[in-house]
Amino acid sequence: MEVDREDGRSQNQLRPLACSRNILHRAHGSASWSQGDTKVLAAVYGPKAGTKKNENPEKACIEVIWKPKTGQIGKLEKEYEMILKRTLQSICILTVNPNTTTSVMIQVVNDDGALLPSAINAACMALVDAGIPMRHLAVSISCCVARSGVSGLVILDPTKLEEQKMKAFAYLVFPNSVHSVLPEGSPSVQGEPIENGIITSVTHGTMSVDDYFYCLERGRAASTKLSDFLRRNLQQQPTNSSKAG
Amino acid sequence: MVTYREDGSSEVQLGQTRVMGIVTAQLVQPYRDRPKEGMLSIFTEFSPMADPSFEPGRPGELAVELGRIIDRGLRESRAVDTESLCILAGKFVWAVRIDIHILDNGGNLVDAANIAALAALLTFRRPECSLGGEDGQEVIVHPPEIREPLPLMVHHLPIAITFGFFSNESILLIDPTHNEEAVMNGRMTTTVNANGDICAIQKGGGEGVPQRVIMQCLQLATSKAASITKQIKDAVEAFNTERALRKIKRHPTSTGVDVREKQNQYTCNIPVSLEHFKSKTEVVITRTRKHYPLNMAA
Repeated sequence: MEVDREDGRSQNQLRPLACSRNILHRAHGSASWSQGDTKVLAAVYGPKAGTKKNENPEKACIEVIWKPKTGQIGKLEKEYEMILKRTLQSICILTVNPNTTTSVMIQVVNDDGALLPSAINAACMALVDAGIPMRHLAVSISCCVARSGVSGLVILDPTKLEEQKMKAFAYLVFPNSVHSVLPEGSPSVQGEPIENGIITSVTHGTMSVDDYFYCLERGRAASTKLSDFLRRNLQQQPTNSSKAG
Repeated sequence: MVTYREDGSSEVQLGQTRVMGIVTAQLVQPYRDRPKEGMLSIFTEFSPMADPSFEPGRPGELAVELGRIIDRGLRESRAVDTESLCILAGKFVWAVRIDIHILDNGGNLVDAANIAALAALLTFRRPECSLGGEDGQEVIVHPPEIREPLPLMVHHLPIAITFGFFSNESILLIDPTHNEEAVMNGRMTTTVNANGDICAIQKGGGEGVPQRVIMQCLQLATSKAASITKQIKDAVEAFNTERALRKIKRHPTSTGVDVREKQNQYTCNIPVSLEHFKSKTEVVITRTRKHYPLNMAA
């Protein structure tokens, strides 16, 4: 069952990905991530001394600032900041540097659909560039439900137009796939490999439970490809020596 | 280096400083005392990603000063023609909004932000609109696919050039970097255009400098302005030609679209059968670092 997409992609095809690290000079870590026409720039400063008022001083704190392309900062930006903060808190090892704050700044350069997933991917790359200790990386993908019911159809990486036309879409974040050198294989939780876990899921619109599970399957499969892309990219570019503030 | 992604957006790299400019426009009601003029407003965002000392939230005094310098250069020198932005006098005019995002602070933000604003203005296209309705009082905005959007009328390009003064060593620097800004005694920003007109001069406190030095700065600025204007115009030309080419190829028939790849960053080979035509134009503006001896004594 094929669906006609405007740019001619098939339902499981992602847009061309491009990523570069260490593009800013003052920031401790920076990365730019683009999926098709959506482009996001992320910068990381940290760890800095002290935590905010209501935060736990026994752990590191992550602060996210989201800057839209144009216009005032509103509720949507605050929501993105919160989602990003919680996602990053779950992948960073917070006990390594207690009582410190790591700031992550996101600047939207262009928004053509899948903005939050691009931002999460960019933030993850920037954290690696800055050398913040993390348990594993996060890869994020967006899927939308084109048709529901028996002939359920889920398409990956929708553009802005597609997001607006479709019934519902979901942004999913998974841990990246693990290549283990240990004899016992990759770590697993309750019998399932760790990469099947979902870190974050944000949905818009209504979809049936089956559609959602179908989205998860597709997202999981695509995230393996994204993990490979991330791994190749990170292996190619060695991080430069640290920058003093 | 001036690169373009799309209409009305530009990214400028001046040494280590990186600034992004975005231009958008909206139809609004004009001011009561100026019913036939459009509006131009500049918003500067000193993003904390540029410098750890920038705070998010309300713009600090540096941000406000930067915004004011660029605003004076554009508005009061009438670089952008605001009367051509009027659609229906007293009812509908275009309000052009320039957002300047500072991405990386390597010094001399004013000059880089000014170039970014100018570059974005030159490539911005506003939708064409016509009057309609029963009494000709309604404005119909035509979407870009139906009618080609129009560029803004820009009469001249005011270029800001910043100087730094070091009185102890009697040195005058053009285009100070971040480290030089931290130790210099005084600064002056002159906004001149390629015709030799002075659009604005801003010297806020700092070390006093003799008149002779000011004249020297102005002469230097005029010569630099000509070369920078040429570079901006070349970049805009290149962008316009690529844009025109893109329009030709954009016509429907989803098969057989141009498969050219233009990605100068690492890309993965996730199989894609059709690629978007992306273009990047690049112009290098070499960071000028010249020292000019001041003759402070006498």
